[in-house]
Amino acid sequence: MENSAEDYRIQSFDLDTQRLLKTALKDPSLVNLEKVSNIIVDQSLKDPVFSKEAGRICYTIVQAEAKQSNGNVFRRHLLNRLQQEFKEREEMRARSLQEWVCYVTFICNIFDYLKVNNMPMVALVHPVYDCLMRLAKPDALMNEDEVDCLVVQLHRIGEQLEKADNQRMNDLFFLLRDGFLLQEGLSSMARLLLLEILEFRAGGWMLSSTAHKQWCVSLLTW
Amino acid sequence: MSDFTKERRREDRNIEHEKSFGPSRWSHCRKRGINGSLRSNGEADDIDRGRNGHTDSSYKHPDRRHPSFTTPESTGSVSRCGRQADWGSQVEDDEMRRDVHRDMQRYRRRILGAEFTQRERRASSGSSGSCDSREGDNMETDEAVLLRRQKQINYGKNTLAYDRYIKEVPKHMRQPGVHPKTPNKFRKYSRRSWDQQIKLWKVKLHAWDPPAEEGQDKTLDVVEELNLDDVMDIELDFPTITDSQNTQTSLPIHSLSVEDEDCGTPVKVQRTAEPNIA
Repeated sequence: MENSAEDYRIQSFDLDTQRLLKTALKDPSLVNLEKVSNIIVDQSLKDPVFSKEAGRICYTIVQAEAKQSNGNVFRRHLLNRLQQEFKEREEMRARSLQEWVCYVTFICNIFDYLKVNNMPMVALVHPVYDCLMRLAKPDALMNEDEVDCLVVQLHRIGEQLEKADNQRMNDLFFLLRDGFLLQEGLSSMARLLLLEILEFRAGGWMLSSTAHKQWCVSLLTW
Repeated sequence: MSDFTKERRREDRNIEHEKSFGPSRWSHCRKRGINGSLRSNGEADDIDRGRNGHTDSSYKHPDRRHPSFTTPESTGSVSRCGRQADWGSQVEDDEMRRDVHRDMQRYRRRILGAEFTQRERRASSGSSGSCDSREGDNMETDEAVLLRRQKQINYGKNTLAYDRYIKEVPKHMRQPGVHPKTPNKFRKYSRRSWDQQIKLWKVKLHAWDPPAEEGQDKTLDVVEELNLDDVMDIELDFPTITDSQNTQTSLPIHSLSVEDEDCGTPVKVQRTAEPNIA
């Protein structure tokens, strides 16, 4: 629990907010947790660097609140805010691709870090799949940022997601395979990323050391 | 036509197909459609399909669930109040369910372990004991009941009084009768008996309320004298006394922040126990 501020990547916030977050981490009862959750979500949607690891700070605050007062206020606000954004994700995507990609990164990060009795939150399984399915659609595959987001998230939480719902993972990979094989206009990088993730899952969410070497070579000669 | 688009068409057709199955599968349980009118099986589809545009997309085709489902699907039985769509509540309910199952496993192990040693002891001493140690066989396992009971226990434990109590009196220092003990949710009790135990437990906990008024000490004496332990074990059946009768006794407990259901209890109990105190 003794992580320095750098671990949570809160340098992007102004000093007052940094102080607020640090207090939330140590003594949640002293702060307005709804406000804190909004601050974190807002920043995650703007800052790609922050969204990649925001789950960590959320996890710590949830633990701190549970330990201190057996409360769930922060988690509840965080999840409901996520749900709000989820409902309007199509509009978000149309408005700003970066915000959409940040959102998906963030919700996957939350899924990864915030566990309930060491199990992933069941309530998030379908929404996360919905997001990834959206990224696997033909129009999204044309954007390298979206493809990149998709494969990164699958690397991080693919195995957990598959365990939670195998069928949906199959459905997702049908789309990915079709996209790789058939979609015209796909950039070579996108195709490479898709091939890698297809092989990654086929290998049991692992890359054998030889495959890893091969990939390093092909990326170097890129 | 490429396989890609064929697959998509197939997927869409499947969704439509599933949608028409959705309400029919359940509509035999429901006599009326959403607008209240009596309906036949065929009618269900048209009424329900109209609503699709307004539903939250997270509940659409990927789950093959029809939006007009009144029973939310989840991993296991769902209480009637579990119909909350917000993620915060879903996760909390899920967490409580998991906690209850984990508690159940732990309890079973504990009981089986205790039973085993008891049986050994009895066998070696040659005596034949009564069957009241067979708690493992007579355990409450109904998830809905356990969840309800856990919620009630949580209300009691989420109080300042409880926090102060466990800080002040460690478990090994607890004296039966004097110190409140959390009712055991795994024992079989009738609904009334359990609710009464919870009430009495919470009343006892009030003795540790943070000091707010000067009437506090008086309350402590009253509560300790009540000797509620006798009462805790039996099935309680109080006559229905109206509130006007109860307000005669001006116990300070009324002025503290007590839930309405508790107001009557201390007075009723006092009346019953009074002959003993004298």
